[in-house]
Amino acid sequence: MTAILQAQSLGKRYGRRQALAECTLEIPPGHVVGLVGPNGAGKTTLLKIACGMLVPTTGRIEVLGEQPAASPAQLARVGYVAQDTPTYANLSVADHLKFGAKLNPRWDAKLAQARIEQLDLDPKQKAGKLSGGQRAQLALTVAVAKRPELLILDEPVASLDPLARRGFLRHLMESVAENDTSVILSSHLVSDLERVCDYLIVLVSSRVQLAGETEDLLAQHHRIVCTRRKDTDLPPELEVIWAEHTDRQSTFFVRSESGVPAGDWSAEHLDLEDLVLTYMERGADPGRRPKTQTARETEEAQAVQAADTTGDAR
Amino acid sequence: MIWLTWRQFRAQAIAALVILAAAATYLLLSGLGMHHDYAADMASCTPLNDCGSMQNQFQGSYNAAFTLLQLFLIVTPALIGIFWGAPLIGREFENGTHQLAWNQSVMRSRWLAVKLAGVGIASIVMAGLLSFLLTWWAGPLDQINGSRFAAATFSTRDIVPLGYAAFAFALGTTAGLLLRRTVPAMAVTLAVFIGLQILVPATIRPNLLPSTTVTFPVNQATASQADGIFMNNGGSDVYFAGLPVPQGSWVISAPPIEDSSGQVVPASSHLDCFPGPAQGPVPAPGQGPVSAKGGGDRFSQTGACLAGYDLHETVTYQPASHYWPLQWLETGIFLVLAALLSGSCFWLIRRRQN
Repeated sequence: MTAILQAQSLGKRYGRRQALAECTLEIPPGHVVGLVGPNGAGKTTLLKIACGMLVPTTGRIEVLGEQPAASPAQLARVGYVAQDTPTYANLSVADHLKFGAKLNPRWDAKLAQARIEQLDLDPKQKAGKLSGGQRAQLALTVAVAKRPELLILDEPVASLDPLARRGFLRHLMESVAENDTSVILSSHLVSDLERVCDYLIVLVSSRVQLAGETEDLLAQHHRIVCTRRKDTDLPPELEVIWAEHTDRQSTFFVRSESGVPAGDWSAEHLDLEDLVLTYMERGADPGRRPKTQTARETEEAQAVQAADTTGDAR
Repeated sequence: MIWLTWRQFRAQAIAALVILAAAATYLLLSGLGMHHDYAADMASCTPLNDCGSMQNQFQGSYNAAFTLLQLFLIVTPALIGIFWGAPLIGREFENGTHQLAWNQSVMRSRWLAVKLAGVGIASIVMAGLLSFLLTWWAGPLDQINGSRFAAATFSTRDIVPLGYAAFAFALGTTAGLLLRRTVPAMAVTLAVFIGLQILVPATIRPNLLPSTTVTFPVNQATASQADGIFMNNGGSDVYFAGLPVPQGSWVISAPPIEDSSGQVVPASSHLDCFPGPAQGPVPAPGQGPVSAKGGGDRFSQTGACLAGYDLHETVTYQPASHYWPLQWLETGIFLVLAALLSGSCFWLIRRRQN
């Protein structure tokens, strides 16, 4: 099966601002993908490129094995719900379903109808009069009922209250399970994605920091707490992602394919939130990122000094 | 796609139909009465050979409606550009709904093509119907006026309004696409359209086809054919008004009397030749001749008096036979501009980086 999304050194530049840089990804099919990162990280840019709304400045991208929005057939295979879930304010709910039916050959009228009834939306209601949550649900209905193979949702729950948020995600997961659809879903909140995603991409400062199946990522990452030491003192198979030092103690966030060997430290798994936040911090502040092996030697003193300052501050 | 275009356009279309129906009703009712009256009046005045005063009176009684209707037809293309063109794409961008539309199983070029074609044709049909009605309605009045080249008349008769409507619509659409906002796009459309309505009759239309220039030597024969003598700029420019040009032609320029070297000749050079005082209150052109016809003898005398100085007056005009070629040319130019703007919409939408 072809990858959901395959990107090679994808980049997008708006004037002088680099919105996305060197993005290389290969997402295998059949996943619910969470794209997480702080505001302005480039999530929307990546998703807009994936659905063909934007043309990348550099690099190549294929979605379901084809150029995004290259043909009506490709458009039919990808559903997209933009940020703020736009709908036609002066068109009714029923009009939106008709809109979907007229513009999509694979439209599933029964599914759409059922969803509207389930959501208890009045078909005669103008979309402009709907609440934010209802509007998001309507936009999702239009996207789902066109029966796409891949559904791309850009911060669909950002403007919703916690209850509507939960309802939206539940409905999303139901229809995804029924129709065997792949999903890419962005958010700046990990908690939104935790329940629904089995694949995770962390995007910070226009760069991909981390990508992989959630389960694997959780298995590979540990927090090590030990007496104060430099990260070079750890076994070499542990890749140090982030380090924090106090006067006596060091905390390392490490990644290892083979697990953490026993030692004079306590090791525990990270939960998804800690994992994501660690990569976000690292991405947002590359200056404090532990150096590569060769660079470490030369800048060691500097690193310890920096660590000391941190320690003093606490 | 056709359904969507219609559904989004429905409210504007209904509003336009209401206006069109009201205008058509008025024009038909009033026009039938007017045509009937005109035929009757002409039948009664022709045997007496005294239709001038009847025509003046007839024209006067319809003057207000005539002016208002012409204005309405000048404004129609602008309204089409503002209310049909500017929101067509501009509102989609403003509300972000283009993201919804462009992610259905329809290429955005087709989306644009159907919208442009559907509403564009509606624009042309709307302007065409109104123009056809007004052209018929104003028939007797245009006949009395003798020329259909007056700026507001030429722009509101026959086929030119169709070109204007297509152009204004494409202009509004392009502005909406570029500015991504409805209201600024409306303002730009209005500004550009007003600019063209001033520019075209004044500078472009007269030069679309080669004009005819006739030179009248200033002598007794010419003076006796003139309606009167005008003076302007305190008597420094002198004109013979109403020099005979073919009926129905459009006088584009009639510079003041010049001598053989092309120098404008002021009245003061030949004071003795002019009837009445050359000083004192001198009427501006258009306010009426210094002397009206009937003082024909005095004009002839002036002409005869000036004949020895080798003076002349030139008149440049478009003959009446150029009316239809000019209509086609102007319509064609604006249709081509509309097509270019529409083409640029396709180009822009393909490169749109939002």
